[in-house]
Amino acid sequence: MTAALDIDAPAPLPEPAPKKPVWPWLLTGVIVFLCVVPFILVLAISFGHKIQGAGWEWAFTLENYKRFFVGALYPEEITYLYLQQLYWSLRYAIIASVLAVISALPFTYLMTRLSRAAQARWLVFLLASLSLSEVFIVMGWDILLSNNSGLPKLFKVTGLTDWLKAVGWFDTLREWGLASPRNVKFKTSELATVLCMSYLVWPYAVILLYPALSRLDPSLSEAARTMGAGPWTVARTVVLPSVRMPLIGSTLLLFVFLLGAYVSVTVFAEPAKHTTAIAIYEAVRGANLNAPFGAAQAVILLLTAALFLFFGQKLTSAAGAKA
Amino acid sequence: MKWIGPVFMGLAALGLSLPIVVVSAAALNGGRTMFFPPRDPSFGRFVEFFVSESVWTNALWHSVIVAFGSAALAVLLAWPIAYWLWASGSKLSKTVAALGSMPFALPPIVFGVGLGFFWAFLGGLGSLAAGIISHAALFLALPLVTISIGLQSIDRAHLDAAATMGATERVTFRTIILPQTLPYTASGFFFALVLSFNEFIVMFFVSASNYSTVTLQIFNSLRNGYTPTMAVAAITFITVSLLVFSAVARWGDLPRLMGADQSRR
Repeated sequence: MTAALDIDAPAPLPEPAPKKPVWPWLLTGVIVFLCVVPFILVLAISFGHKIQGAGWEWAFTLENYKRFFVGALYPEEITYLYLQQLYWSLRYAIIASVLAVISALPFTYLMTRLSRAAQARWLVFLLASLSLSEVFIVMGWDILLSNNSGLPKLFKVTGLTDWLKAVGWFDTLREWGLASPRNVKFKTSELATVLCMSYLVWPYAVILLYPALSRLDPSLSEAARTMGAGPWTVARTVVLPSVRMPLIGSTLLLFVFLLGAYVSVTVFAEPAKHTTAIAIYEAVRGANLNAPFGAAQAVILLLTAALFLFFGQKLTSAAGAKA
Repeated sequence: MKWIGPVFMGLAALGLSLPIVVVSAAALNGGRTMFFPPRDPSFGRFVEFFVSESVWTNALWHSVIVAFGSAALAVLLAWPIAYWLWASGSKLSKTVAALGSMPFALPPIVFGVGLGFFWAFLGGLGSLAAGIISHAALFLALPLVTISIGLQSIDRAHLDAAATMGATERVTFRTIILPQTLPYTASGFFFALVLSFNEFIVMFFVSASNYSTVTLQIFNSLRNGYTPTMAVAAITFITVSLLVFSAVARWGDLPRLMGADQSRR
């Protein structure tokens, strides 16, 4: 350590610092103000009271939370509508994040074995697709999956629909809600929702797995190969155990991100299977205009995310202790 | 068995680009309806998006202002935090860095709702400045990470040498630290820029329908069905992303920024 690294060197600030620098506290204040206060406001307003036909007022009531779990009219009437929406949020997010990580794993592994320049080219492509707005991605899939163009039309024109009908699989598709009497249909369906969400986070999954897989020592796999292990055995016994924790970590991060997915669900999921994110939007900006209830739902969504992150942390540390 | 790897990667690339290709091709439609494959191909929609339709040119202008403004602000905020974290490693600096990364790590819809309340109280709801500051807070984590990686890559021997030769902190900062971290600062700036350009949900709550960015405009038009002009927007956005990340890869070390192992080349 040298003098250049000492703390009382507020070099990035324009003014020379006094003896006891104030800028760390200033910086802390700014960050708390910008990044923490909005979350605190959500929490505070979630206890607020909605005035009929008007806005809302500060209060300390649990009515918004009660409404979420058992409905506003409890105990005369019980409704689990909002819990159901949370269930759909969880369900879509879990399936889509697991799907993305599982399919991204072999891809990332193959990518890290390429030359440095080739890796950089792939990363450019992945980052570009990662940053592409959700609205564009939904638009693309919407065109691909809509009934008048895209895949259903392709099925019809190529005779695939007739073939499916002939083999009898068409009825199975209808049972799954993936076909109308005439042709296959993907909108609206759970499959389309999950597919689009999974697509949305797939490049994220690669980027998250990339550091761990690129640090994987290739000599380990080579040693296993020389001792006669097949590629699958190597993958199962050498590669998978060493990336187990990044795998769980990435899945959790993507899951938390997908809990808030909005556009894909509005476009691809049927109204009965809409999620908490949509309910939040409806309450805060949409037709219902009930900011405290929207805030309460946002808090519950955050708590759900925190719960999963907490247990994920437990799981990984337990796995780490065993390893 | 050697062919399985490349084939799998090729399929992944195909799947990844499929919706993008479909949208891009639809931009060439001559009429107002989206067809794929395009009918009566023309570049008329490009003129509409960039020149003649004020709805789109205004939206594009707002997107550009917010993206550049928020990325610059995010870098300005991230620099002192990253430097503080690197130079002192104190508990407070770690806490501040973690708090600053929080908006990016949590579901954006929650932060968006919070910011909506936040600006309603401060009276800035629906102003461009509120949009810029909101995005700066949301994407602060990105320059924070890249600048931290840059600071860690500085060879401490250089700093020792400078100190022995009598350089003051300010001189060391100007002649060693700043130049060596410049590519990382630029990368952080561009990451924030591109993500802000494409961000939608936070902007939705903060803009309060007073103005719209391109992504907001597209979302608003979703209900009326797609028009080929929207596809032009998609092409523009993907092109900007590709250019920016190519530049980062060309002048910076993209694999290192993404956390690749340094010992293998």
